[in-house]
Amino acid sequence: MMAIRELKVCLLGDTGVGKSSIVCRFVQDHFDHNISPTIGASFMTKTVPCGNELHKFLIWDTAGQERFHSLAPMYYRGSAAAVIVYDITKQDSFHTLKKWVKELKEHGPENIVMAIAGNKCDLADIREVPMKDAKEYAESIGAIVVETSAKNAINIEELFQGISRKIPPLETHENGNSGTIKLGKQTAQTTRRCC
Amino acid sequence: MPNATAHQTPPPEKRKLHPSRSEIIELLVFSLFGEEELAGFLLEKMSVLTMEAQCLDERGSFFKLIDTIASEIGELKQEMVQADLVLEDGSTSIQSLEKDMSDLCPDQKNLKSFPRDSGYDSLPNKLSILDKLLHTHPVWLQLGLSDTEAAEVLQTQPPGTFLVRKSTRMQKKVLSLRLPTAEFGSCLKEFAIKESTYTFSLEGSGISFADLFRLIAFYCISRDVLPFTLKLPRAIAAATTEAELEEVAQQGLSFWSSPANDRLQSPAPLQQPPPPDCVSKGSQQLCLINGVHSIRTRTPSELECSQTNGALCFINPLFLKVHSQDVGGNLKRPCLRTQDGNGLERSRSPPPRPPPPSIHSLLASPQLSRTVNQASSPESDARNKHWNLDLLQKRPTPIPPPRLKKKALSLDAESGAKSAQPSRHSAHGPETASVPGGALPQQNLAGSLVACSESQVQCNGGRQRLSDMSLSTSSSDSLEFDRSMPLFAYDGDTNSSLEEYEGESDQESMAPPLKPKKKRSSSFVLPKIVKSQLRKVSGVFSSFMTPEKRMIKRIAEMSQDKRTYFGCLVQDYVSFLQENKECHVSSTDMLQTIRQFMTQVKSYLSQSSELDPPIESLIPEDQIDVVLEKAMHKSILKPLKGHIEAMLKEFHMADGSWKQLKENLQLVRQRNPQELGVFVPTPDFVDVEKIKVKFMTMQKMYSPEKKVMLLLRVCKLIYTVMENNSGRMYGADDFLPVLTYVVAQCDMLELDAEIEYMMELLDPSLLHGEGGYYLTSAYGALSLIKNFQEEQAARLLCSEARNTLRQWHKRRTTNRTIPSVDDFQNYLRVAFQEVSSGCTGKTLLVRPYITTEDVCRLCAEKFKVDNPDDYSLFLFIDDTWQQLTEDTYPQKIKAELHSRPQPQVFHFVYKRINSDPYGAVFQNDNSNHVS
Repeated sequence: MMAIRELKVCLLGDTGVGKSSIVCRFVQDHFDHNISPTIGASFMTKTVPCGNELHKFLIWDTAGQERFHSLAPMYYRGSAAAVIVYDITKQDSFHTLKKWVKELKEHGPENIVMAIAGNKCDLADIREVPMKDAKEYAESIGAIVVETSAKNAINIEELFQGISRKIPPLETHENGNSGTIKLGKQTAQTTRRCC
Repeated sequence: MPNATAHQTPPPEKRKLHPSRSEIIELLVFSLFGEEELAGFLLEKMSVLTMEAQCLDERGSFFKLIDTIASEIGELKQEMVQADLVLEDGSTSIQSLEKDMSDLCPDQKNLKSFPRDSGYDSLPNKLSILDKLLHTHPVWLQLGLSDTEAAEVLQTQPPGTFLVRKSTRMQKKVLSLRLPTAEFGSCLKEFAIKESTYTFSLEGSGISFADLFRLIAFYCISRDVLPFTLKLPRAIAAATTEAELEEVAQQGLSFWSSPANDRLQSPAPLQQPPPPDCVSKGSQQLCLINGVHSIRTRTPSELECSQTNGALCFINPLFLKVHSQDVGGNLKRPCLRTQDGNGLERSRSPPPRPPPPSIHSLLASPQLSRTVNQASSPESDARNKHWNLDLLQKRPTPIPPPRLKKKALSLDAESGAKSAQPSRHSAHGPETASVPGGALPQQNLAGSLVACSESQVQCNGGRQRLSDMSLSTSSSDSLEFDRSMPLFAYDGDTNSSLEEYEGESDQESMAPPLKPKKKRSSSFVLPKIVKSQLRKVSGVFSSFMTPEKRMIKRIAEMSQDKRTYFGCLVQDYVSFLQENKECHVSSTDMLQTIRQFMTQVKSYLSQSSELDPPIESLIPEDQIDVVLEKAMHKSILKPLKGHIEAMLKEFHMADGSWKQLKENLQLVRQRNPQELGVFVPTPDFVDVEKIKVKFMTMQKMYSPEKKVMLLLRVCKLIYTVMENNSGRMYGADDFLPVLTYVVAQCDMLELDAEIEYMMELLDPSLLHGEGGYYLTSAYGALSLIKNFQEEQAARLLCSEARNTLRQWHKRRTTNRTIPSVDDFQNYLRVAFQEVSSGCTGKTLLVRPYITTEDVCRLCAEKFKVDNPDDYSLFLFIDDTWQQLTEDTYPQKIKAELHSRPQPQVFHFVYKRINSDPYGAVFQNDNSNHVS
C-alpha cells in the first residue's frame, strides 16, 4: 500500500508574477477526476507519485502585496517547501524574491525546500532578469530553479517534480505519524467529495 | 434476511443513493402515526400531492409539499384525537417501528428454509447472534493476541471456532478460523479484514458491514468466502439469557480453556432446549460432508454479488435495531438504568430479556390490508395467536376496542406482506406512492431506510439529502455550498445536520419533544407541526445511526457518567473550569489548556478499555481519531461552549482588543473596496447578508470543525461573487483583500472570538489543509482590520501582531511534544523595564537548563531591543537588583528560590545595565555542578 504524504507548500512572490496561475496550471492540467477541487484557487491540492510514496501537495498561496507581507509567516510556517516566484520581465520582482529567501532563511522552517520559478518565460523578448543571474543566485542558496510559463505550460510539472525529489523520504518507522495517511483514507475522501 | 440477499444480486433499491421524495414522505407519515388507516388515507393524499410536486421545482416545491402535508396532518390529527392516545407520543410509535423491523425478520426467515441457518432458529425465544456476539466480545475479540497464542487457543477447539485479532504480521485485523485438521495442512486459517472509511469486510468478499459484530454475525450464518460458517462456542450459542452471556464474557480469554467451554463442547448436558445447538451442529456437519463445494474458499467472482464494482454494503435492519439498542445500553451492563438520557429505549429492554421478541406492533402494518392477500397460512395463524397472547401480556392496560380490530388487521397484513415479499423489490421508486395500499409501503420504508444508511456509507451526497431539507430553510442562495468539505471527515449525515441547524447546542436528545426550539436564523418558518415531525423523523433515523454516530453518542453519554473514569475526568474538568474563572491568564491560555485536555483524553480513550465494545470493533482504524475528536467536541466543548464564549469576551474586553476592533471596523467599513486593495467584483448587500447569516450559524456551533465548515462556505460564496461567471481563477492576491472587505462589511465583533476558538481548538492535524488555510486567512483579515490605523504608513501590521502569529503557529505545531503546560520548568516569566515605557511582562518558553546568556538573547528578540549589549537579566529580590552572569541558570535559581522555607517575592527583569546604579552581580554558586 502506497502511503500518502501531505506536504504543505507555500507560494511567495510579488503580486502579479503569476503565483496562482502556476498552481492552477499544475493542478488542472491532466485533470483527474479523483482529485477533488478545492473551493478556490488560493488553496489547491494535487497528489503526485514519487518513488514509492504519493506526495499530496497542499499549496498555500499568499497575497503578494506589501501590506500583507506581515501575514506571510502564518502561511509559510510548517511548510515542507516554498515556491518563490518572480517575473522574468520585472527586475523588481527578483529583488522581492531575494527578500523572501532571506526571510525564509531567518524565520522559515528548518530544511524547507526552496524552489525559484522565473515565470512568464514566454515573454523572453522583454526579459529583465537574465537566466544566469537566477541560476547563480539559486546555486548560492541551494535552491531549485526553473523558468516557467504558466501560460504555455512550460516547466510547471518539472518544478513540482523537482520539489518532490528534494523532499527526504520518510523513514519507515514513522509510518503512523501525522504526515502520512494510508491510501485507503484518500480514496474514501475522494469518494466523499464526488457528489 | 442476510443470507437471502447476500447471495443474490443486490436489490436495486438497496443501492439507490437517495431516498426518493415519496419515500421521505412515507417515512414522515409512518413515523408519525403508525396507524394503518390514517397512513393509508394520507398516503392516498400524498400520492396525489407527490405527483403534483414532481412537476414543480426541486426544493421550493418540496417544502411547499411538506407544508401542505403538514396542514393536512394537522387537521386529521385534530379529528383523530381520541382514536388512539398512543399516537400522541411519537417515541412510542418509533419504538414500535423499530421493534417491528426486528420482528419482521424472523418470520421472513421461516419462509425459506436454510439448512445452515444455525443462529436464527434460536431467535423466537432467545437472543440473536448479534446480541451474543456483543455480549461476549471479551471472549472472541482478542485484538492483542499474537499468532502463536491464537493458534494455541484454537487448536483445542472444534472446527469453525474463531477469534478476531490484530495480526502484527499483516498489520491488520484478521479472522482466525479453526479448520478441520484432516483436510487442511494447518489447523487454522486467517482471513484478513479490510477496513475502509466506513465499513468492514473480509478480503475477497464483496459484502461489507458497518462494524465487526455485524460482520461476524453474518459469517455465523452464511459462509460467503469462507470454507464454512463460523461457529460460536457452545456456551455462547446455548445461552438464553444475558446473565449467562455475562458470565461467559467475564472469563475473557480464559474462557477458552475453562471447564465451561469444555463441558459444553462435549455432547451437552441438556438443560437447554436442543434446537439451536443441534441445528448449528447439523449445519456444520452438512458443510463438511458436502466437502466438495463447502471446503473450498470461494472467490468473489463465484458469488453473484460481485457484480458490483465496489463492495455491496450490507446492513440488516434487524441487526441495526438490535445493535443500536445494545450499544446504547450496555455501557454498564449489570446496572439497568445507566443514564437518563435515553432511558426510554433501555427501560424497554431490561437485561433478562423478555423471551419472545414478537410483539407485532401496530406499526407493523403500514402495509394496508385492503388489497393484501387476506389468506394466511395455518402456520401464520398459529403465530398470530401467539402474538395476540403476547400482546395482551405486554400491554396490561385495557385496550380500546378499535385497536383490537386494527391489530387483527395488522396481523393479516403481516402475513400478506410475507407472501408479497418476493416481489418487494420490483415495485419501488417514485411511482410507489401512487400504488394504492398494498404491501409496498412497509417494504419501502425499510428499503428507503436502508438506502439512506447506505447512501451515508457510499456517497456523501446522499447524506446531505435531509440536511438539504433543513439547510435550505436558512438560505435560498444558489451559492449554497453543495458538496462536502474535502478536509474533514465531516459527518454530514442526516441526523446531525438536523441537529446542527436546530441550534445544535443543547438538548437535542434530552429536550421534551415539543419544547420550542431557539429562534432560528431562517426566514422560512416551518409550521410548528412540521418541525416536530421532522424531529420525529430524525428520531427514526437515530435508530439507524451509523456506528460512528453511535460511538460518539456513546462516548458523550459516558462523559456524563461519573462512575467511569472518563466521565469523572470530563465532569471534574468541566466544573473546575466553570468554577475557577481566574485560572487562566489569557484567552489563548484557556483555549490551549482545553485543547490539550481534549488531546489527552482522546489518547486515554483510545488506550483504555473503558469503551465497551472496544472502539476498534465499531470503527475502522483510520477513522478512530476522527471519531474520537468529534466525541471530544460533544463531551467537552458542548458543555463548555457558553463558558468559553463568556470568558473570551471578558478577556477581549479586558485587554482592549474588543474596543480596538470595534473602532477599526468602523473605520474600515467607511473605505471603499479599492482603498483596501480590492479590484474585483465584491459581494453586494444581499450577499453580505447571506454571509452574516452563515457567521451567525457558526456562532451556534460548538464543534470547531463545523465552524470551519461554515467559514469555508463563506469563502466559497466570496469566490463565486469574485468570479462572477468569468471563469477566472483568483488566488490569494485578490482573495485576501476581498475577505478583509467582507469581514469589515459584516461588522460582527464576535467574529474575533469565533476565529480564536477555531484556531486554538481545531484538531491540529487539520491545520495544514483547506480549513487551516482559510482560517489563517480569516485571522489575517481580522489582524489587518485591528491594525488598520497603524497600517496607513508602509509598516502595516505592527510587529506585535506578527509576533503573536508566530507564537501561535509555534504553539499549535509544537504542543504535541510539550508534555504539559503545568510543567513550570519550561516557562520563565520575565519583566521588561524601559525607562520610557514602564514595565511589561512576557512568559518565555525555555529549556530547564537555559543559561542567562540565552535568556538575554530571547528577551532581546521578544522585546525587540535594538542594542542587546546594553541590557541584561536581573533578579529583583528583597528590594535589591542582582545582575545575573551569563553562565547562570535562571530556571535553577527560580527553583531554588521556590524551595526556600520562606518564599520570597522575586522577579526576573530584563533591563538596561547602566540605568540602575545599584546593580550588583549575582554569582550563582551552584552553576558549576550543573550540566
